Amino acid sequence: MKLGRVVGTVISTINAPAFDDRTLLLCDLLDPAGRPAGGYLIAVDTVGAGAGETVLILDEGNSARQVLSAPGAPIRTLVVGIVDAVVEGPTPAATEVPTDTARRKPRR
Amino acid sequence: MQLARVIGTVVATVKTPGLEGIKLLVIQPLDRSLKPTGGQLVAADAIHMAGPGELVYFVAAREAAQAMPDPFVPVDHAIVGIVDAVSLLAGEKP
Repeated sequence: MKLGRVVGTVISTINAPAFDDRTLLLCDLLDPAGRPAGGYLIAVDTVGAGAGETVLILDEGNSARQVLSAPGAPIRTLVVGIVDAVVEGPTPAATEVPTDTARRKPRR
Repeated sequence: MQLARVIGTVVATVKTPGLEGIKLLVIQPLDRSLKPTGGQLVAADAIHMAGPGELVYFVAAREAAQAMPDPFVPVDHAIVGIVDAVSLLAGEKP
């Protein structure tokens, strides 16, 4: 999976049937520090991600079709998560995650 | 998936079985400011409606064949939609 940032949407009325009623997000790819890594992907939204959010992008067809429960769909790129925080280096204790970015408490 | 501009068509009479009846278009992949990036490709038109000059998005790899009526065809890039608009976030540089 890849890290990305939602920078826009792609609007399309003429498309393969598998894309009907799906939201296409234009996502810049990021490095773990949150800087643009160069390049972008158009991904189908599955989590309700919005503009400006850092997201987790799945770019593999078999998994994508499984997530969508759409066996024959020509879809390989999905937004599958909204990223709260990326921590580089050793895993910190839960309390060290910046509170403004940690929306969900990790399970013990 | 990525954006591309259709820049031409490919006519081939002798084709491997499975490619018959599939419309082949030459596309130029674009970056998100719609500037050409990377080499041109030949892509199958899975929506039967794309034509030269049009802004489209395409899917690569195995999923390209999935877009065709028969999913077991030797196709590695397929146009799966025509773009009406790319709307970028306010403040986002194209």
